[in-house]
Amino acid sequence: MLYYELKKIWVKPGTKIVLLILAATLVFACYFAIHGVYYVNENGENEYGIEAIHKLKAAKKEWAGLLTEEVIADVIAENNRLNDTEMGRSEAVHDSNIVFGWKQGFYDIRWMLVRSFCKFRESDYYVPDSLAPEDARFFYGNRLLRLQEWLEEDAQQNLFTGAEQDFLIQRYQAWEAQAPLYYDYADGWNQLFEWAAMVIMLTMLTLNFVVAGIFSGEFGYKADSVFYASCHGRGKAIAAKLEAGLLFVTLVYFAMMLLYSGIVLAVFGTDGAGLPIQMSNVGWKSFYLITNWQEYLLILFCGYIGTLFILSLTMLVSARTKSSVIAVTIPFILLFLPSFIGGSSLEMIDKILGILPDRLLDVNQTLSRFSFYQIGGEVMGSLHVLPVLYGSLALLLIPMIYQVYRRLSAG
Amino acid sequence: MQLEIEDLTKKFQDTAAVSHVSYTMEKGVYGLLGVNGAGKTTLMRMLCTLLKPSNGRILLDGEDIFEMGAAYRKVLGYLPQDFGFYPDLTVKDYLMYIASIKGVHRAAARKRVKELLGQVGLSKAADKKMKKLSGGMKRRVGIAQAMLNHPAILILDEPTSGLDPNERIRFRNLISEFSQDRLVLLSTHIVSDIESIANEILLMKDGEFLHTGTPEEILEGMPERVWRLTVPVHEASKYDKNYKVANRKNVPGGIMLRILSKERPHPEAEEEIPTLEDVFLSYFGEKAGEEDAIL
Ligand SMILES: Nc1ncnc2c1ncn2[C@@H]1O[C@H](COP(=O)(O)OP(=O)(O)O)[C@@H](O)[C@H]1O
Ligand SMILES: [Mg+2]
Repeated sequence: MLYYELKKIWVKPGTKIVLLILAATLVFACYFAIHGVYYVNENGENEYGIEAIHKLKAAKKEWAGLLTEEVIADVIAENNRLNDTEMGRSEAVHDSNIVFGWKQGFYDIRWMLVRSFCKFRESDYYVPDSLAPEDARFFYGNRLLRLQEWLEEDAQQNLFTGAEQDFLIQRYQAWEAQAPLYYDYADGWNQLFEWAAMVIMLTMLTLNFVVAGIFSGEFGYKADSVFYASCHGRGKAIAAKLEAGLLFVTLVYFAMMLLYSGIVLAVFGTDGAGLPIQMSNVGWKSFYLITNWQEYLLILFCGYIGTLFILSLTMLVSARTKSSVIAVTIPFILLFLPSFIGGSSLEMIDKILGILPDRLLDVNQTLSRFSFYQIGGEVMGSLHVLPVLYGSLALLLIPMIYQVYRRLSAG
Repeated sequence: MQLEIEDLTKKFQDTAAVSHVSYTMEKGVYGLLGVNGAGKTTLMRMLCTLLKPSNGRILLDGEDIFEMGAAYRKVLGYLPQDFGFYPDLTVKDYLMYIASIKGVHRAAARKRVKELLGQVGLSKAADKKMKKLSGGMKRRVGIAQAMLNHPAILILDEPTSGLDPNERIRFRNLISEFSQDRLVLLSTHIVSDIESIANEILLMKDGEFLHTGTPEEILEGMPERVWRLTVPVHEASKYDKNYKVANRKNVPGGIMLRILSKERPHPEAEEEIPTLEDVFLSYFGEKAGEEDAIL
């Protein structure tokens, strides 16, 4: 039964188109991830491709190791030394490109300096150029300091409750307590994270077109009479449809993600798997104390839960309305709803936005967002709440689809 | 085995498509005959548990079929009037899928599909996509899917619509062979479909069973007699107006009419033996559907 139910999905011409779109998504995502990194050679020219990636990796690897005050002071000193060369002082674009090339080994650390020494919501790329080696001792402490400065500004006065602020500060302290932290080349993970959301969203949206037809299709084809008049038509045959839908979604989702991450990591290497996510430009402010490897798992499984929830909803609507056209709109509504009600500064709206399922599809962004929920006096980030919430909702939806479809009358 | 219909009524909004029908069927072929809108499809859909009756019950050996659920559907085969399928599946895959949801095991299904494809003359089309089939071939697949599980109760709604004369003959043979020890109910508005194979004929009109019985009983119960009369061309329309005319045929010296009438319409009229076609006309006031009429 399941075999033929899968075959029914498989033979549809629409499915072929969906697989083509997925293949294209994969190609583009890998291209963006790989082409997003370049190596600047001694002539100040950008080089792209696998060889360039290897050269950059070699340059960054020289700075891999425990990021102690001494190392940070070295970075600042080296940065200043290079700025002080003839080329470093030159205003010519060509020259500054060459200098950029010299600095690219500590490019990641330089970005962390930007984060550490700029105000919380500011980003001045040139701040590290004005530092002295002695400033290195502020590097780790600045993170909490900048947060506290920001929290004390008027604008933020009502944003968080006392408990939420305490939670945030405590998380920042816990991170700092681990200092000095290890630094390593982690371009593979960072590039992987950057385009993962695109892969997940497009996978979900294209799969949506497949699952929207599974239940309504019987009616669309007028095959419902034979279906419901069959022995298992109000039982196992519905379960088989559900299984086929879930299996197809699961297989395609994980195939996409594993292919995408496999290709990107094969190109860049898996170095930096154990690095805390804060050891990068994007992750610096995150209060989630996890490593790159853990973030990857979180992206993979949160993406899956989000996809599963949204597509289960599609299937439920498809089963209920007998219309794939209505069902197919569900994820679009869910994804674009935030942009409609977003932009509002109302705290309540912010809380609602933080709990919408689209956040599960873009974990890399969500990790840096300060959305808190208080459950039983305990403060939690949205990533503590979302997987559990939508995982349970999906588990509730699945039997609902079965029940709804079972009770429908044919014709 | 006994399929018992008790005071069955189905109302759509205010109109009753099936109205207080009671009847008991056992083994044999039952021909449900009636014009479009008589309520045949509605009745059959209730018999297949697809529609809930507004009133009344359907019992299989004393048990309500809606309560039996899957156990009832296990012995049921159904060809809907509006037969739909999955256009991109091959004929074989389609039948294998239907076999699976009917609870036929894989190995048995494979054998059965092969056998049925032979019986409906589609062995060569087994690997064709459903959407590539002609109307008649689709209908034949529809008949095959209904019979996959060797149903004890086979319900076919207008099974011959879209079939050509050869296909009809093959269908009649298939059904008479299959109907040994089974209950086959088939609806049609084409008399010739059931004339030779039905053990019982159910004449349905406006949601009710007008008359039921063996073909002989039905013929005997016909309220009118059948007359043959040849009239000059210009008089033919007069008879058309005053009588039910079953047939007209040009012959030398005028038109030969087949007239239904309680009394002899003309002293020269000769009495004929009635056929089911005549019965149909007599009860429904219109001619039975043509062989090649669709719907
Ligand atoms: N789903 C429905 N809703 C409303 N009226 C219906 C529905 N199905 C059938 N009818 C009406 O019930 C009557 C009987 O229809 P049907 O059972 O299809 O007759 P038949 O099969 O003999 O042509 C018709 O008048 C038809 O319009
Ligand atoms: Mg009908």
